[in-house]
Amino acid sequence: MTDRISLLRRRLLLFTGKGGVGKSTVVAAIAEAAARRGQRPLIVELGHRASMQDIFLGRAGGSGRRRAPKIGHEPVAVRPDGGVWAMNIDLESALFDYVVEQVKVKRIARMITGNRTLDRLFRAAPAVREIVMLNKLRQLERQQQADGAPRWSPILVDLDATGHALMFLEMPRMLRKVIAHGPLRGLVDSLTELFTDRQRTTLCLVTLPLEVPVQETLELYHELTELHEVSIGGMFINQVPAAPLDDAAIAALDELETRARASDDVAAQREVLADVTLARRMVASYRHARAQVERLRELGLPTAELPRMYLRSGEALDLEALGERALTGLEGGDA
Amino acid sequence: MSDARGGEAFARLLAERRLLVCVGPGGVGKTTVAAAMGLHAARSGRKTLVLTIDPARRLATMLGLDGLDDEERPVPVEQLEPLAGAARERAAMYAAMLDTGAAYDSLIKRIAEDEDHRQRIYNNRLYQVMSRSFGASHAYVAMERLYYAMEDGDYDLIVLDTPPTRNALDILDAPGRLSTFLDENVVRWFIRNKQPSSLRERLLSRGGAAATKLLGRIVGEQLVDDLSEFFEVFLSLREGFSRRAERVQRAMRADDCGFVLVSSALATNLVDARFLHEGLAEREVPVEAVVFNRAFIPLDLPAAEPRAARAEALASAICPKGQDDDAARERVREALTSLERLHDVVTAENAAGQRDIDAFCEALAAYCVRVTTPRFDEELRDLSALARLGELLCT
Repeated sequence: MTDRISLLRRRLLLFTGKGGVGKSTVVAAIAEAAARRGQRPLIVELGHRASMQDIFLGRAGGSGRRRAPKIGHEPVAVRPDGGVWAMNIDLESALFDYVVEQVKVKRIARMITGNRTLDRLFRAAPAVREIVMLNKLRQLERQQQADGAPRWSPILVDLDATGHALMFLEMPRMLRKVIAHGPLRGLVDSLTELFTDRQRTTLCLVTLPLEVPVQETLELYHELTELHEVSIGGMFINQVPAAPLDDAAIAALDELETRARASDDVAAQREVLADVTLARRMVASYRHARAQVERLRELGLPTAELPRMYLRSGEALDLEALGERALTGLEGGDA
Repeated sequence: MSDARGGEAFARLLAERRLLVCVGPGGVGKTTVAAAMGLHAARSGRKTLVLTIDPARRLATMLGLDGLDDEERPVPVEQLEPLAGAARERAAMYAAMLDTGAAYDSLIKRIAEDEDHRQRIYNNRLYQVMSRSFGASHAYVAMERLYYAMEDGDYDLIVLDTPPTRNALDILDAPGRLSTFLDENVVRWFIRNKQPSSLRERLLSRGGAAATKLLGRIVGEQLVDDLSEFFEVFLSLREGFSRRAERVQRAMRADDCGFVLVSSALATNLVDARFLHEGLAEREVPVEAVVFNRAFIPLDLPAAEPRAARAEALASAICPKGQDDDAARERVREALTSLERLHDVVTAENAAGQRDIDAFCEALAAYCVRVTTPRFDEELRDLSALARLGELLCT
């Protein structure tokens, strides 16, 4: 199911993963790495809580924070030197964009979206939100610079949650059942075409080396590959722990325990036994994580392992280094 | 590390409340905590229901069940010792999983007027799409499911699990969206009267021709017709929807309901937890308790000072000079040096986590209960492991 096209050559990268797996951080890191390689990455969030605001702009201190641009419906440069852009698709603006596209005249579009009854209908009716957001993605993908080159490369979409990815991919199919013809049908068809074009679009899975997230990722992978044409371009495993002890120390644990138990020094015995217990606990947890990584690697996808980071409040992250590591990890997994 | 008062106060919530809503970021073990809460309350003698949203098989297995679905299934709590002093008569635990599609169908089954009405709803294409695929509709149905359990279930306590952070607030906003959805003006715009004429005729007759034409241009005429039918079949349900939604909203804001925020001690999770806490505050829903789950690595020797310096002394103590050869002594010394270094790393990590927890707690109201649980050596697998977590939360 994987295509051996390097990740950054695609136009549209969709990132999915259960909440709390560090998906937004991976998206931001890969965008940084793309910028470093001279591309024009655009990060797109879909109207949910703005993680990119925190990641790129929130961490600037004091006066910098006040001057930081707000990530909204239009792309803004999120680094002082430009190079990485981000936007957060807003339902209302996306709806307006869609209506303008359909009726061509802004004044009429404003009349429609300004109609209270229609506005309520659009907000409440099923699927409107998803359709107009997908439409916005399609518009962004088509934008060009003056020389005809794509305006954004790549577009990185931070999908909300696992279910969201399936829903987005399912949407065109579901809608085809409901909509036989009419203007929406054209949109649905072009969305299907965009999402299933393996040259342009790929899905990236982000997960953690823990039993539950791994199980969900495997289930998602099978569901995706059974139901959809979409390409899966990579797997990112966050928070992979490093070995807590060197091999010699691990090998010596039993000996330490035996010696401690044989010792007459009660205080020392207690301390060493406590140390050994902790060490065994940490080694077991490390081995468990490795076993989970291996389960994921069995899928044969290009896979990057990202290091465990105990990020505490106020600590800044070297996104570019993380992004480089993610990309080289994928390439290594590709070999 | 959880202080005694936190545990006791948490136990009181489990003993006294009728509805506990667990909210929190993904990946912190929220569903497991919800299940442990329900189990602990059951072992204390209450008849409890845990309504989860987690489709993972692991949860069913942990509860000793073959599977979880819309149906409320009894959890074999009799396998466990009841807690000391607990009344036995009502002690029981049930679990069900919110499956949006199935829950919608059973909702329609319960409230549709007759078989014909029911079939018309089932057959409407928009209903099929909405009930099976769209995230936003989850909250409506969660609410309906909760209402059903509250009305028909005879439970002393219901523990409601919610989707991760961003959607968790939907359950409080859903009635607002629901009433917008079934807003009188919107519905009336589509259905001016109950005479069986086509939508377009109706709109034309009311002078809505221009608007319909525009709507048709935007979404297509066929969809306008489907939408009209959709509203028509739902119109009769509107009153019931609103009434039930109101009741659930009242129940969620009543004194016998409590919101429990579940997080870890990781900064990324705490940011999400803070977002939720603020969102709840904006909606005037107080957070009654915060659980910092898997927040620290248990240490048998709480170290007051760095232990790296202890390696030498410990090595001499368990591997005395003269008794062993130099190679063995060197091996033991090096291994102990690694172990002590690890101990210091873990101690520092725990302390950093605690600092972040403390900072988070500054924003909490004084009455808000705080509990901290340790990281277990292994992932929880069965009912007795879950019971242990319940006990940890309450001591």
